[in-house]
Amino acid sequence: MQQREEKQLEASVESLISRVAHLKNSLQSFIYKLENEYDRLTWPSVLDNFALLSGQLNTVNKLLRNEKTPSYRNQVIIPLLLSPDRDEDLAKLTEQRVPVFSHEIVPDHLRTKPDPEVEEQEKQLSVEAARIGPEVAQKQIQTMNKLCSSLLEKLNNPRDDREAETAAIRQNKPSFNPTDTTALVAAVGFGKGLSKCRPPGPVNTGHPGQPMMTGGPTLQQVTIAGTSGHQAGMGASVAQQQPGQPGKMPSSIKTNIKSASGSMHPYNR
Amino acid sequence: MEAPPVTVMPVTGGTINMMEYLLQGSVLDQSLDSLLHRLRGLCDNMEPESFADHELVYLLKGQQGNPFILRARRSLAHPTAPWHLRYLGQPEVGDKSRHALVRNCVDVSASHSLPDFLNEMGFRMDHEFVAKGHIFRKGVLKVVVSKLSRVLVPGNTDNTEPLSLSYLVELSVLAPAGQDTVSEDMRSFAEQLKPLVHLEKIDPKRLM
Repeated sequence: MQQREEKQLEASVESLISRVAHLKNSLQSFIYKLENEYDRLTWPSVLDNFALLSGQLNTVNKLLRNEKTPSYRNQVIIPLLLSPDRDEDLAKLTEQRVPVFSHEIVPDHLRTKPDPEVEEQEKQLSVEAARIGPEVAQKQIQTMNKLCSSLLEKLNNPRDDREAETAAIRQNKPSFNPTDTTALVAAVGFGKGLSKCRPPGPVNTGHPGQPMMTGGPTLQQVTIAGTSGHQAGMGASVAQQQPGQPGKMPSSIKTNIKSASGSMHPYNR
Repeated sequence: MEAPPVTVMPVTGGTINMMEYLLQGSVLDQSLDSLLHRLRGLCDNMEPESFADHELVYLLKGQQGNPFILRARRSLAHPTAPWHLRYLGQPEVGDKSRHALVRNCVDVSASHSLPDFLNEMGFRMDHEFVAKGHIFRKGVLKVVVSKLSRVLVPGNTDNTEPLSLSYLVELSVLAPAGQDTVSEDMRSFAEQLKPLVHLEKIDPKRLM
C-alpha cells in the first residue's frame, strides 16, 4: 500500500516539476522579449504569450486536481542538514539560484503558510463570509451562477438581434448626420445653399446666413424645369429681398442667351 | 452642351478618358479626430496633408436646357500654385449593382488668368465655396475630409461661414473607363470606415 503511494507521489512530483519547468521557461522568454524587444512587439504576440502562460497554468492545475495525485498536504518536508557552505550540486540543480542551503533560505522555500498579508486578507474574507449567513450566501452564489451562464450563452450563440442591440447602444453617440451628408453633397454638387454670384444689379449682402436668389437662372431652376412644388419650396427658404426683381428676371435671361448664340461661339458643336 | 458619351469619343492619342469613381459621406465635427486617426492607420503612411482650397463653379448657359459646368479651384495655402480646372460629366447610369458613382472627369491645370478667361468665354460664376481639410491616399484611392464654408462676400475668401457642423468625406478614384474592379476596392475600404462614416453612392440628381 505504502509502496504504491510512494510511487504515486514520486511520479506526480516528477510531472509537476516538468510542468513548472515549462512554465518557468515561457515566463523567462516572455520577460526577455518585454525587456529587450519591446519596440518591435505587437499586441497579438503579447496576447499569444499570455495565452501560453495561461494554458500552462491550466495544465499544472489539472495535474494537481488529478485523482492519481496524492494530497500534498499530508506530506511534511523537514530539512535534515543546514549548512552555510556553498553546495555545488544544489547550485547546479537550481541554476545558480540557490547556492547555499542555509537558515536564510529555509523560511522562504519551505514555507507552507501564506504570506502574512495574504493570511490577513483570507481571515477578513472568512469573517465576512461567516457574517452574512448561509441563506444570503446561497442567494449570492445563485445570482453569480445565473450571470455567468447568461454571459456564456451570449458569447457562445451568435444571435442576429445582437446586431440590433449594439446598433441601439451606438445610436446614443452618432458620428455622422445623414441630413448633413445630403446638404454637403448638394452644396458640392450644384451649389445648394451657397450664395450665388449676381449679375450687375443691387447686391444685398446684409444677411449672410440666407442664400440669395439672383437675377439669372441658377443651376437649380434650369435643371428642375420649373416644377411648381420645387419653386414653392425654394421660395420658402429664400427671402426675396427685391420685389421688383422678378420683373427684371426674364429680361436678363434673354440678354444672356442672345449674347451667347449671337456671337456664334466657335466651340459650339 | 455636354461632352459626348464615352463610347463615341475617339482616342486619338494624348489623353485617355478618365472616369471618377466617387463615394461620399459626412462626419460630425466631434467625431472628426477618431476618423482622422482611423484614416491615418488605414491609409498609406505619409505626413498628414491638409489643404485649403477655394472653388468657383462656372456655368455656360446654352440654348438647350442643361448648362455646361466647369469647376475652377485654387489653393489658398499655396497662392502661387496653378489653378486647377475640372469638368465632371453626368453620372453614368450603369448597372445598379455598381457601388460607386461613376462620371467622366477631365482635369487640367491653368494659369492665374483662368477666371478672366472663363468670363471672356461666356462663362458666369454660379457659386463658390471654400474647402479646408485633410487628404489621405491609399494606393489609387483618395480620401478627402473637408469642411465646406460659404463665401459671404463674393471674392473675399477670408470672410467665410461653415455650411454645416459636419465634414464632408469623399472617397474617389481616377481610373480609365471600363475598370469596374475599382468600385469593389472602394466598397471594401468604405466598410472599414463604418460605423464612423457611411460612405455611399449619392446621386446628385436625387437631391435636387
